[in-house]
Amino acid sequence: MTSTLTNLPFVLSSSPTARREDKATQSMRDLAYFIGTFAVALLLGIGSAWYMIEYGSPLTTTKVGPWASWDSEGKPDADPYTRAHVARSGRLPLSSTVARYFVARTDSNGHALSSSCEYTIEGSPLNARWWSIAVYDEYGGLIDNPTSRYSFNSEELLRHSDGTFRINLASTARPENWLPSGTDGQTLILMLRIYSPRETDSLGIGLIPRERLPKIERKSCE
Amino acid sequence: MRVRIPGLYIVLGLVLAGIIHIIAVLTLPMLAPKNAHARLAALGPANNMMELPAAAPGRQVMPMMAPDVRYAFCRFDLANGPVRLKAAVPDDLWLIALYTPEGDNFYSVAGADMKRAEIDLVIAGADQTVEEAGADAPESSDEVVVVNSPVTEGVALIRAPLVGPSRSARAEQALKTTSCGPYAKAG
Repeated sequence: MTSTLTNLPFVLSSSPTARREDKATQSMRDLAYFIGTFAVALLLGIGSAWYMIEYGSPLTTTKVGPWASWDSEGKPDADPYTRAHVARSGRLPLSSTVARYFVARTDSNGHALSSSCEYTIEGSPLNARWWSIAVYDEYGGLIDNPTSRYSFNSEELLRHSDGTFRINLASTARPENWLPSGTDGQTLILMLRIYSPRETDSLGIGLIPRERLPKIERKSCE
Repeated sequence: MRVRIPGLYIVLGLVLAGIIHIIAVLTLPMLAPKNAHARLAALGPANNMMELPAAAPGRQVMPMMAPDVRYAFCRFDLANGPVRLKAAVPDDLWLIALYTPEGDNFYSVAGADMKRAEIDLVIAGADQTVEEAGADAPESSDEVVVVNSPVTEGVALIRAPLVGPSRSARAEQALKTTSCGPYAKAG
């Protein structure tokens, strides 16, 4: 009762009125402490829930370089974080036992993907029945472009003789596989969807070897 | 005495934060007003197959739709009995998936895993039996797949991944021949 208030003048006096004031101050402070605690708890609780649902955590997602994938996406027995993520996303993903979705918001060096930069996406074929790399704006919308090209899939991609491929993600026309990124200087999201992966783990979840995921290199920026 | 109280508040705050965190995670799926089921429900009546327009800039029913997949969906409602979904599957790549309103993919089958090019799928609620299918039409009973749905309302989504940019017309045509409607005894 004395340690923190002693430097306030009225606490030094010992008259009954001062003591009452002291008590009032104390209960006011308790109330303030309680409200403060509750506000901080609300912020922490909702903030951490939001972050873990929106971006995932090591509990729910696999991160490989710039790529992130929800391990139990679409599974009926998925954890609450994954289920909340799916409900919030507005998507209807296939169960991770049937398909895997990998999302990249940065290049392989961790810089946010932007249509003011040019990138190469290089990789080797994936062991799956069908796969596709598509580019979206930050809201998950397709990006308008003169060639109406929004993605490249395993059936249409031009490949080198050893099976590897390179996609040029750029705002203006490029040779080989040109994936237009728009001209608005916007943030980009890449999604790699892999239908019917041929390898699975012990839970039946599609398995994509880490080194098989494409590398995203930034070439130049405007 | 005073000095200990902030410590108590820190513990209290962390416990409260944990409780709020758990409540938020568990209620969020129900509080997501624009989930996929709600988006599809706005497009048309239940127990009816509908094609989704090919995804294009500014024209996407759901975010991050695949631009190189053609989709058709049927929002099923089992309140008045089971629902039958029929499709002639033209290639191995097709995927038929059933979802709860929260987006749980409780059943899926790939074209490559089907024995026949035509699929006849009956979606039934937990308390609904469709054994009559075999009794009434024994010669075709092994061709009917009965899926027990954990929910009365949900979504069946057919995906037709494109094998090349020129194939979209063919995939859209094939999706048009799929059907979905109240289950009637085969006869």
